[in-house]
Formats: sequence, structure tokens, C-alpha cells
Amino acid sequence: MKPEFIRTICPYCGTGCGLILKVEEGRATATYPDRENPVNRGSLCVKGWFAHEFVHHPERLTAPLLRKGDRFEAISWEEAIDLAAQKLSETAGEYGPDSVGGLSSAKCTNEENYLFQKLIRAAFKTNNVDHCARLCHAATTVGMLQTLGSGAMTNSISDLAGADCIVFVGSNAAETHPVLMGEVYKALDRGAKMFVIDPRETAVARNAHRLLRLNPGTDIPLLAGMMRHISDKGLHNVGFIEKRTENFENLKTFLEAWPVEKAAKETGIDESVIRAVAETYAKAKNAAIVYCMGITQHACGAANVIAICDLAMLCGHVGKHFSGIYPLRGQNNVQGACDMGALPDLYPGYQGVSDPAVREKFQKAWKTDLSDKPGLTVTELINTAGKDIRALYIMAENPCLSDPDVNHVMEALQRLDFLVVQDIFLTETARFAHLVLPGACFAEKTGTYTNTERRFQLLHKAIDPPGAAKGDFEILCLLGKALGLAFDYPSPADVMSEYAHLVPAYAGVSFDRLERVGLQWPCPDENHPGTRFLHGEKFTRGLGRFVIPDYRPPAEKPDSEYPYYLNTGRVFAHYHTGTMSRRSPFLNREIEWAYVEIHPADAAALGIREGERIRVSSRRGSIVTTAKITDRVAKGSIFAPFHFTEARANRLTNPVLDPACKTPEYKVCAVSVEKERYEATAR
Amino acid sequence: MLEQVRQRARELLERKQADGVLALKKGYWDVIQPHVFTAPAEIDKLVLEPKWLLAKMARAVLLERPQPWRLVVVMRGCDERAVVELVKRNQVDRERLLTLGYACDSAQAKACLCNRPYPQKLDAGSAVEGVDPLTDERVKSYLEGDARTRMEKWAEQLRRCIKCYGCRNSCPICVCVPCKLEDEVWVERGVVPAEMTTFHLIRAFHLSDTCVACGACQEACPVGIPLMTLQLSMREALKRDYNYEAGIDADRKSPVLSDFIKEPRPGQDMPDWVDSTEKKP
Repeated sequence: MKPEFIRTICPYCGTGCGLILKVEEGRATATYPDRENPVNRGSLCVKGWFAHEFVHHPERLTAPLLRKGDRFEAISWEEAIDLAAQKLSETAGEYGPDSVGGLSSAKCTNEENYLFQKLIRAAFKTNNVDHCARLCHAATTVGMLQTLGSGAMTNSISDLAGADCIVFVGSNAAETHPVLMGEVYKALDRGAKMFVIDPRETAVARNAHRLLRLNPGTDIPLLAGMMRHISDKGLHNVGFIEKRTENFENLKTFLEAWPVEKAAKETGIDESVIRAVAETYAKAKNAAIVYCMGITQHACGAANVIAICDLAMLCGHVGKHFSGIYPLRGQNNVQGACDMGALPDLYPGYQGVSDPAVREKFQKAWKTDLSDKPGLTVTELINTAGKDIRALYIMAENPCLSDPDVNHVMEALQRLDFLVVQDIFLTETARFAHLVLPGACFAEKTGTYTNTERRFQLLHKAIDPPGAAKGDFEILCLLGKALGLAFDYPSPADVMSEYAHLVPAYAGVSFDRLERVGLQWPCPDENHPGTRFLHGEKFTRGLGRFVIPDYRPPAEKPDSEYPYYLNTGRVFAHYHTGTMSRRSPFLNREIEWAYVEIHPADAAALGIREGERIRVSSRRGSIVTTAKITDRVAKGSIFAPFHFTEARANRLTNPVLDPACKTPEYKVCAVSVEKERYEATAR
Repeated sequence: MLEQVRQRARELLERKQADGVLALKKGYWDVIQPHVFTAPAEIDKLVLEPKWLLAKMARAVLLERPQPWRLVVVMRGCDERAVVELVKRNQVDRERLLTLGYACDSAQAKACLCNRPYPQKLDAGSAVEGVDPLTDERVKSYLEGDARTRMEKWAEQLRRCIKCYGCRNSCPICVCVPCKLEDEVWVERGVVPAEMTTFHLIRAFHLSDTCVACGACQEACPVGIPLMTLQLSMREALKRDYNYEAGIDADRKSPVLSDFIKEPRPGQDMPDWVDSTEKKP
């Protein structure tokens, strides 16, 4: 009996830090940073250091659960798999293939995502498969595909250290992707300039040379103003534009409409500041733009991304070392889930479902007929639940906290004929399920995650899942077989070799090669070392294309009834819907209960004191939470972290979608704030 | 040197003088990671590089093993000093923890700014000259010169803190339960960056007489705060006023725990605690 140290990958954010789990008699008892991992090189954030804490939580699901009235009953795996297969195929038979849908998971491995989308597509002949990337970086995929041809981070995390100017737009990486900030600070210590564009004074803003505190949702006016100034001053990279891009004339025409003065008025930022930041960015030898949800979660999210691509191409700051565009992916494997085709319009490797040649390829490989009709997105699947969608299979997603307007989501889920939820805990979503399948967490599986810099990294199984719980790979294989598919994969490595054959960009990846430092795709053959930055010789789509960003102001503005802007986001100690982090005692000690940040002037006007219970309401719902008074939010705005089930910020958010990518506008809606009044209740 | 270490480790396991050897292992695809070797045949996978502190891991391993279980730790000078401090505080059982010490080369000593790049019980390799950290330009820029400028420099660095607790978690001596940094009386919860005077200075002062300058805190810091430099002035003060260095003498109590009458130099009853390394008149 001796302790084992097992190398694996952190299950929290998209940075993809290497962990070493200490395992004692089948229990993960400690987490250490992996010094040999090229991403974190021996450091971790607080979530990583305590990643083992939720693994053995007593609330872990240990047996399949069947709903009996208003409670759950444990059943055997045979029953559970038979029931799931029978109900799903019955539904597809009765209401047609498009009545079944699946939500895959950015928390699960590439192999599991591949199997999930294959299962939905091959077993039910529908493309109704999507995952939470829809709620975060779908705008990136759509926007960057149009401009650059690839929806992934252009460069590597370590490239940030070499940049001379770093612009953060709508990213609070110091709390959300903390470990990669080290590279940013290396650049600052070299003398680089750092700017932050955000309506809030975030943790990352406090270390910046300048914070551009723009009005919510006015990113395009700001970026347009910057571009206008750059082109007026002749600071644009003429050589790059001529040789590498097309459609520049269109952009020029668009910029006619955005003189810097107008941009200043719209954004609330000083003209001189816009000019200065634009000049610094344009003149820098190497400049990087880091962006995140502050860009994508808007009604014009895809256009925001396009504007960022336009700015980078205008200055030639893309397609080389130490520059580029850095969309920071949220989940540990959201990049991978997209790569593996857990998207309603794309097969693995971003190959369109409507392209006959592509479909032919997948039909041949999977030996089945496939639908050529793009499926429904996360938000559409939920909206049509109980109408067009009769049965839903949700793997490790928690839309009851993560989707906008969750009151509506909860109603929708209850309208379903059959809901299967596969997760490690009985999440808020699993509570609505007819059948719950207990899955495995990161420490209990072998497979790969792809981090935000497109790096495939290997997970090693450290311990067994608790009780009768099974690895998600195993569950998918069982269910696939029960649905009549040839899902007899001996191991996840065999799944990888299947998709490596179907996607040219992953042709060179194999479990063996990933062992040491992983591999960054594209990796077209077995000897290819992986790709540190994209668009080097030419853009993925050939020429970079300037596209006009179509500006739409936020759908909902404050008015007399709902006088405040609400912004939502993450905090450093918690992660997304809190399923894992809120069950981690150390993380939960750090931030224990829900709060919203409110400006001192607003608090004073409403007579609200620090820590006091307040009610925040929007047109869609209302929550009771506590007040945290801080001038980090602008006057007239409040900020709510969305991790807390007892006060779900997403009860308030506006489900208006960006028509281009179907991402909801989480970042802006109108709310009212009041003191919560209690009525004495007899006990 | 490597062969010497392997030979010795193998012997200890073969002769059943120890049940396990904690060291780095070069495994499949040359991946290096900490590992507890229990079979002598496995020892040819033992390696010494890169620098990877094991003292804290060793403590955790021993805590979960039953009483007679003995562990050999292959360690550098800094790890050995950490073990000495842990033993002083009854955090590890010296009977159950054997050390197999090897010397660092001068490149490593320079990289770590280490003044003692070798263990006192040297089993392999030969000791090289240490480096005085106080001669390093970057260290000097934090510890010498105008106090206000230095304060700003520190504030700029500490503002980057993401409150990962990595400095505490990786420190071989930081083993208090409960930890002061988790006490709301001192450190506000849920706030990043962690507060300079509470979080960082409490941590630094708590380690003032135990820090062995291994650099684990600094190496674990994701945002590159020069945390070891923060300890150097206190280490220097203890050395100057009490000729005390943490991790060297297992039998000598820290002067901070003693009364001031006996400890200081003759004729001086209080140390000239300083915030910098400069000589005061």
C-alpha cells in the first residue's frame, strides 16, 4: 500500500492546468500543481489547488435514479439503459427524428463529446445536439469563421508574455483564468502596455495602465472609433491588408459612419483616451487582444467578435508570434466539445452538416444515414421543449442555472415527455429528470481535454467512480449499443483514432503523443509538432476578410420601472453553476452566499447597507440576495455572479438572442433593486 | 551523482531500512513526476531534475501511513532544511523520515539565489559555493533604497495576487491548522487581490523565523510575485542579530520563541529589527 501521484488536467476553466492528484487507497486526498505541464508550470489557482475536494462529496450520485412520482428510486444499470434507449427511440419513432435532442457537455472529454454527438446523430437521424458553448463562445465561432476561417484562439497562452500591448475586452481573466495572467505580467515587466475595456473595474483592470469604462454593450462603437482613428492617422498596416486580406474598402465605408467623436459619445469614454489606446495598439510591434464573455454575451456578440478581428487585421496583429486574438474559453473542454462537433450545424472539425460531400464522408464512416438539416441550439431546444422537442438527453449540463431566464427553462423542462440527465450530482436540472444516470468526474476517467490554446491534453484515471456510477464513456457505449449502434470501443483511445481519421486537423493526434506536453491542433500528421499560432502563412479561410460589424445596442435599457443595468459573471472562488465549486469546502468558505455588487451612490439612494438583503427584479423574475457595496461597478449598474442556486442571476437575464449565433444577452438587462422586506411569520 | 543516489536508494529498500523512497520518476514518454518507489527494481527510473520540492509531500505521505512505515526522501539542501524545521515543530517523525541528500550545481544555486545549495548530510554530489541573494540586483531593488519607491514596487506586485493560496500550499513549513489566512478576523474572505498587509504580511511574518529560502512560494506563484525576497530581510536580521538560520541546527530553538535577554549579542538587549537590509548607524 503506497500513495500514487496521478497526473491529470484541471476540471475547472479553459486554461487547462496540469494537476497531480495524490491517491490513497482509492481516494483523491490532495492536489499538487504539475511542474512539467507547459501551461501552468507548477502553479494553480485556488480552484485547482482544491480540485480534489468535491470528488468524494457525500452527495455524489452512486446509482441510476428513476423518478417515481415526486421522488427518485435507485434502479439497476440494465433497467436504466433499457429505459433510456426505449423511451428515446419511441419518441423519435412517434414524433419524428427531430423530436429528440441532446445537450453534450464541455465538462466531459473529447471522446465522450464525440460519442455523444455521434449517438444523437446516428441513432435518431437528427442534428439536435448542442452544448453550453452556445451560451458563451458561439459568437466567436461564427464571427471568427467569417473573418479568419477558424474560431479558435489564434496564438498560445505563452505568447502573451512577448506582446508589447495587451488589450483586454470584456475579460476578467484575473478571476476567471487566473493562471494565464502570469504570462501577461511577464509582458508588463518587460514594459508592455495593458488596457482593459470593461464597464466594471475588474480585478484585471486594477493592474492595467488604463481602464476604459464603457457604457454596457457599446463595444462596437469603441472598436470602430479606434479603427477610424488608426486609419485616419495612417497607422494601419497597408502591406498586411493588401497581401493578406480582402474587403478592406467595405470596412473603410463602414468607418465613415464612426468618427471618434461619435464613438466617444456612444461609449462614454474620452475621445483622447480612445485615440491614445488605438495608437498604442496600432504602433506596438506585437499586440494581443484578449476577450471573453463581455464581448460574446450580447445581442450583437458575433458582430463584436468581427469588430475585434477587423481591428487586429487592420494593424496586422494576427498570424505571428506574440500577437493575435485570444478568445478565452470558459470550460475546461469547451474548445474540445466544439471541435468534436457537439454543435447542431457542424460535424467534428467544424465540417458543415449541410455540405453533401462532408455528410457523405460521415455517413460512410458511421455506416448510417444522417440528416442534412441543421439542428436546434441550446436555447431553441429548451424553448421548444414539450412542443417540437419531446425527449431530451442532457449530459453534465445545468441549464436551470446557466441558461438565461431560468424560470422559463424550468417550465420548459417539465413539459418534456422524457428527460434523461447524466451528471455527478443531483443538479438543479437533474431534479426535473425522469431518469438520472450517475457519471464520473475528471479524476475518474481517461480521455482528453482541449484547452483554450487548442492543446489536447491527457487525463489519467486516478480513482474509480463512487458506488455504481460509471464513466461517461462507458455509459455512452452502453446506451449506443442499446440503440443499435456499433459502439464497442475498447477504450477512449480508439475513439480518438476514429475522429483523427475524420478530421484532417487532428489526424496526427494519438493518446501516446499527448502523454508529455499535449499537442496543439492543427496537427495534420503523426510527425507534426502541433501548431503554436494560426494564420501564419495564410488565413485558415485563405484571405482574411474584413466584415462589417452590425451594431445593435442592448435589447433592454433601464427605464423608470427597471432603472439599473444588470451585468453577470464569475468570481474567483466559484465556477459556473457551482455544482463542483460550491461543494468544495475551501472554495465555499471563501464565498459562501449570493451577492450583488452595487455602487455606493445607488446604495445610499436606496438606503441599502453593506450585507443587507435586497431584492433584484427584472421583467422575467426576481431574486433575494445580499448587497456588496463597491465602486467597482459603475453608478447605475449592478453585477451579479451567477453561481448561486439560492439567488440565480439567470432568473433575471434577458433571453434575447444574437440572431447570428444564438448566444443570449447575459451581460445587459434592466433590473430594479429594493430592500427586501420581511413579514413576521409565526413559527 | 545520479547513480550514487540510485545505488543508495536501492540499498535502503533492499535492506528494508525504508518502505518507500519519495523522489522524481522519469516515466512513460520521459514524463517526470513525484513518485513513491517501493520496489528496488523500479529505482532505475529515479531522476533528480528538475527542482521539485518534496518535503511537504513527504509529510503528507507519512501522515497517512501507519506507524512503522519509513520513507526515504531524495532531497536538495532546501528540502533538508525544511525537514529540520518540520521536525522542530513535531510535524514529522524524524525516525520515520530518512533523507538522501544531494548537492545542487552552481547554475541551480544561481537560479534560486541560494546561499546553501547543498544538504548538511550530503550523500551524493559535491557542494558548490552558494550565492548571496542580497547581491542580486532584482532583490536589491526591493530591499534597498527609498522606502516609498520600494513600497510602490511591492504594491504593484502584490496587486497581481489572485489569492490562489499557492504560496501557503506549497510552503513546506506552512502547516498550521487552522491557518491564520483562513481566519476572517485577519483576512477578508472572497476578495481578490488578497490584501497586502493582512494576507501577505501575516504570511510573511508567520514564517519569519522558519523560512528556509527554498523558493517554493515564489515558484508556485502564478503571477510571479517575488515572495522569497519578502522573507530575505527577516532572514538576514535573524542571522545578523542572533546568528540564527532556519533549518540548520535541529536543536536550536528559534530566537523569536526565546526571551530577548539571553539571545542577542552581548551588550545588546533588543535587536535592531529593520525593514531593509541596510546597515543602520
